[in-house]
Amino acid sequence: MRLLLIEDDLQAAEYLIKSLREHHHEVTHSADGVDGLEKATSQRFDVIIADRQLPRLDGLSIIAKLREKGDRTPVLILSALGTVDDRVHGLKAGGDDYLTKPFAFAELLARIEALSRRASLAAQEVTRLKYSDLELDLLARRATREGRTIDLTAKEFQLLEYFMRRPEQVITRTMLLEGVWNLHFDPQTNIIDVHMSRLRNCVDKGFSKPLIHTVRGAGYVLKDEQP
Amino acid sequence: MSSRKKFRLSASRVTLLYVLIFAAGISSILVASYYLTARVLDREVDAVIRGEVESLVDDYRRGGMLQLIDTLNRRADNWGRTGAVYLLADADGNRIAGNIGRWPNRLSSNGDWVEFEIDASEHGGVVAHPVRAHLFHLQDGVRLLVGTDILERKRLASRMRSAMLWGAGLCVGLATLVSIGYSRGVRRRVSEIAATCENIMRGDLSHRLRIEKASDEFDALSMTVNHMLDRIQQQTEVLRTTFDSAAHDLRAPLYRARVRIEEGLQHEDLPPAARSTMKATLSELERVQRTLGTLLQIAQAEGHGSELAMETLDFTSLARELVDLYQPEASTRGLTIAFSGSDSAQLRGNQQLLAQALVNLLENALKYVPSGCRVDVSVKSNKDSVVLEVADNGPGIPPEDRQRVLQPFVRLERDRPKSGSGLGLSLIAAVMRLHRATIELLDNNPGLRVRCTFPAN
Repeated sequence: MRLLLIEDDLQAAEYLIKSLREHHHEVTHSADGVDGLEKATSQRFDVIIADRQLPRLDGLSIIAKLREKGDRTPVLILSALGTVDDRVHGLKAGGDDYLTKPFAFAELLARIEALSRRASLAAQEVTRLKYSDLELDLLARRATREGRTIDLTAKEFQLLEYFMRRPEQVITRTMLLEGVWNLHFDPQTNIIDVHMSRLRNCVDKGFSKPLIHTVRGAGYVLKDEQP
Repeated sequence: MSSRKKFRLSASRVTLLYVLIFAAGISSILVASYYLTARVLDREVDAVIRGEVESLVDDYRRGGMLQLIDTLNRRADNWGRTGAVYLLADADGNRIAGNIGRWPNRLSSNGDWVEFEIDASEHGGVVAHPVRAHLFHLQDGVRLLVGTDILERKRLASRMRSAMLWGAGLCVGLATLVSIGYSRGVRRRVSEIAATCENIMRGDLSHRLRIEKASDEFDALSMTVNHMLDRIQQQTEVLRTTFDSAAHDLRAPLYRARVRIEEGLQHEDLPPAARSTMKATLSELERVQRTLGTLLQIAQAEGHGSELAMETLDFTSLARELVDLYQPEASTRGLTIAFSGSDSAQLRGNQQLLAQALVNLLENALKYVPSGCRVDVSVKSNKDSVVLEVADNGPGIPPEDRQRVLQPFVRLERDRPKSGSGLGLSLIAAVMRLHRATIELLDNNPGLRVRCTFPAN
């Protein structure tokens, strides 16, 4: 993936670039807002990662300028302003995702992957979702696997739909809290794992192979083979 | 809100009381002066009549009945000019002398004083003239009646009465208008001051009380309050910038430290002891980050309230969803969480902060309520409030600590071994203040009952 990282904290940037390259991404770096915007408009990127507070032009203004020009490249905002409202405000300002510093690298990686594929399935108006032998009827709110109906609660269905719209992508617990429960803060207790194990009980138990897998140190993935 | 309502009541009460006292004062002055005047007039009339009777009785004693009749005949000519009435009548009431035809039949008496009416033709009509007279018994049932026409006096009295009634009415009316106007003015100023103060309490310190340039007491009060607000705003601003930059300056190195440790952990040839130390350091850093985040959140809810996005939301469904979110985790810990709620409870607030407060309440229950207990969460929507209750039958909080634990960094001695920053309840309290809600920690006999009361939408 071609990534543009606009970050003025050089130490942090250096580490991010190194780690992203280790994950086979091509990274261009820019240390201030104006230069970053110039790079963003002159080249094509799959995802732009921009710090919110930057010298010369801040992250949210970069998004505004890009959108003005009709550039829909997904932008992930990094910010040290961590309050709930800053997050919501950052998203309202046109950012596609928002991550508060400090964050785990795995979280950033998962979100970049999710952003690059967002255009494909996540937001599409579809009535059916199909992955491997699992099928969701979004109108009847019914899940079937190998022809058998799976009993799910409304929330479990919503949770499964989130995975089905992002097949083979690593989904972090924070992404689930935001996307399924609309909670833009991290609770202290790990409440997601219990919900995931209930979902896996319904979706994978008694079938030939598991579809939902745990990704150590990151989250979960829907995939029809061991990751 | 309720204090403003109370004030409105007290202002009208003062107005009413003022008008009542004023009306009572005015009426007593007027009534007293009316009766005094009437009595003076009455006495004058009576004195004239008494003088007349005395002189006639004198005549009678000196010259006998004939002399009296003669004097009466002379005086009777004056009827109409002086309004004097004379009648000397025998025992049957037949006239012997005088200027009225016969003994009056409708006669109200009070000892020797009588009052009756005689009809006189005047301007082509018949007018009843009231007469006040003195009765004097002579010998053999012969009676002498000496009186005077009191029509003019009665007219004067009635004119005086109506003038006084009008005057009193006007005075009271005017007083009512003036005092209603005054109390409205006071009420308006007080409401204005209260509204401004409420805005300020919600976190917007930029509001100021209006000065009306009337240089009255309210302006003096407003100016003092404004000066006070200037000072508070200055101090808050200093605190806020210090806090913001401290928080920001702490976050950046925290971020770098975290990045470095994560980077270090990627080395595969790391000795296991070093790896576990680094992992422990990483989780300590996470704890610091979390505490810092919560502090920022509290600061935002306390100080920047007006900058937060407020929306109308259904608190019942928010609470139900969060209870559902925590339910599975609670049951793995042996806790039962039950939810009950009104169909919908409309509330205006910041959705994320309200969710955060609810999450903190639920996490407190998870953390402090022992296995085997139950937690009941309920949302009730009343006419003027929405009430959230989280009640458990765990160990509760001793009464003397209930206010204290709402302060930042205050933790109960018995909870020391458990992890936690002591900020959870303070954040809830800050979010409640932002939403003008009250939070009460009550005894659930046994256990704790947290009650949050929001003003209805």
